[in-house]
Amino acid sequence: MQKKILEENMREGAFAKHLSSNIWLEEPSEDNPYLAKSCHCHGYDLMELMDKCSYEEMLLLMFQGELPTPERKQLLKSLMVALANPGPRHPATRSAMCAGVGKTDPKHILPIALNIMGGDHLGAGEVAKSMQFMHGMPKQDMQNLVKNLISENPRVNQEEDWVIAAGFGSHFGGIDPMAQAIAAKLAGLPGAGKYLRWGMEFSDVLLSHGLGWRIPGVAAAAFLDMKISGLKPWLGIGLFQLISAPGLLAHGLEYHLKPLSAYPFPTDDNYIIESHAKKN
Amino acid sequence: MQKKIDTTYLDQLRGVIHSSKGGWIVGEGVHNHGYSMMEDFVGHVSYMQVTVLNATGRLPDKNFTAMLEAIFIGASWPDSRIWCNQIGAFGGTMRTSPSAATLAGALAADSRAYGTYPLVEGVSFIQMALREKQRNLSIGDIIAKEHKLHPSQGYIMGYSRPVAKGDARIPALERTRKKLGLPKGDHLKLAFKIAKYIHKNTGEYINASGYVSALLSDNGFSALEAGRIITTIVSSGVMACYVDTQSRPAQSFLPLRCSDIKYTGKPPRVLPNST
Repeated sequence: MQKKILEENMREGAFAKHLSSNIWLEEPSEDNPYLAKSCHCHGYDLMELMDKCSYEEMLLLMFQGELPTPERKQLLKSLMVALANPGPRHPATRSAMCAGVGKTDPKHILPIALNIMGGDHLGAGEVAKSMQFMHGMPKQDMQNLVKNLISENPRVNQEEDWVIAAGFGSHFGGIDPMAQAIAAKLAGLPGAGKYLRWGMEFSDVLLSHGLGWRIPGVAAAAFLDMKISGLKPWLGIGLFQLISAPGLLAHGLEYHLKPLSAYPFPTDDNYIIESHAKKN
Repeated sequence: MQKKIDTTYLDQLRGVIHSSKGGWIVGEGVHNHGYSMMEDFVGHVSYMQVTVLNATGRLPDKNFTAMLEAIFIGASWPDSRIWCNQIGAFGGTMRTSPSAATLAGALAADSRAYGTYPLVEGVSFIQMALREKQRNLSIGDIIAKEHKLHPSQGYIMGYSRPVAKGDARIPALERTRKKLGLPKGDHLKLAFKIAKYIHKNTGEYINASGYVSALLSDNGFSALEAGRIITTIVSSGVMACYVDTQSRPAQSFLPLRCSDIKYTGKPPRVLPNST
């Protein structure tokens, strides 16, 4: 290639020389510096953590840098059980089923479903937005807040869910009983904090408008109550995807074992190509 | 104590990248397989030519990549019943980003039933078949040998489809091949003979994947290279399905009532006390 002076210059000193981590320490083996002989998570030896630590504790240690209190551990454990399966009708689960029955390489089933689970409607995107919404909201007067939110976010149409704030609204046109029940159960735990309690009050006011908790809102309030140091909404995105992964994978693998014909394929009569999309 | 492991090879690579493909030298330009991206490619070659170059290391001519583009178009249906497209549609109804939905759908086509795997297997099959044909094996014997290799498969890869029998893409692709003046090579000639044999015996016919497998083989590509070239072949159709559902009310794509799932598991029961 002919060397030319182009309108490009490398920025000097813009990039770090080394990677760094507050989370994980690996001590090299004497005989091979590429192999670790011990690992520490925020200072705790992995072997000791294996003996004494539950998965929920490990998860919170990883993100907040300290072992959680028993109350916060219980809150995460209950949330993880509650949200371990979005259910077979959830669009992310059905993506996993589609991949499974479509004989997609099984190693892709979970990444595909998690991609879809990142959505802003009932997915991780809504969790992050709900965390942003609730952060700072508890100080406001509840009745006024609902009144303002309703006037700022009027119902667009009857077909679409009415979400007056991320994490709160209707689901399939009504109040989601499972979201209300899970929120109430979590709010009754010793680890529940101001966000779950605030959300319960908020959803009580919403009930008369035919609205309530949506699952992403429940997750958002619980994540905020875990008081993970430096918690940012994007941590909620990843945690929500992580805790919904078991159900997504289970349903995808269930269909991976079935023939293609086991998954509905609407007939041409039920596949309506709208006139503007059709060549006449 | 274990003997100290010689890590010289890895040590030499710490913080250093060796590329056999190319890269960007700031102030000089972007090198790609011995070409200059800005001087030789931009405005001179097609995107599809660069795609094949990056996947195989060889820059094909424009006529071949025009054919390849026709093949990609043939896999870009905006029909949300197709599994990869349906994933895109679920992404739209859940309001994911277009990248997340489209790439999830494209990843789904890394499948044994459609997309990547049938093409990779199809290339292996037709190349094996031509070698055997040149050794004077009959088409019947070649097919019997392939069935023996994959006893549970029940069909020859590239000569059956899951939803329909026959493939409307074959005449369209053949018309395009002729229009572009691309020769019918030995692999493609044999593929049509195999198709005729299978059709006579089972009623199945060659599908687009079987056709493309032969065409790529005639143009010197291996099974591995074929799989790399078609990595994103369905992505445009997935995108269309994403856009369709993204522009309709959220979660209105194929909604299901609770009772629409036929539960076949254990009836509700009480947890044992120990848990």
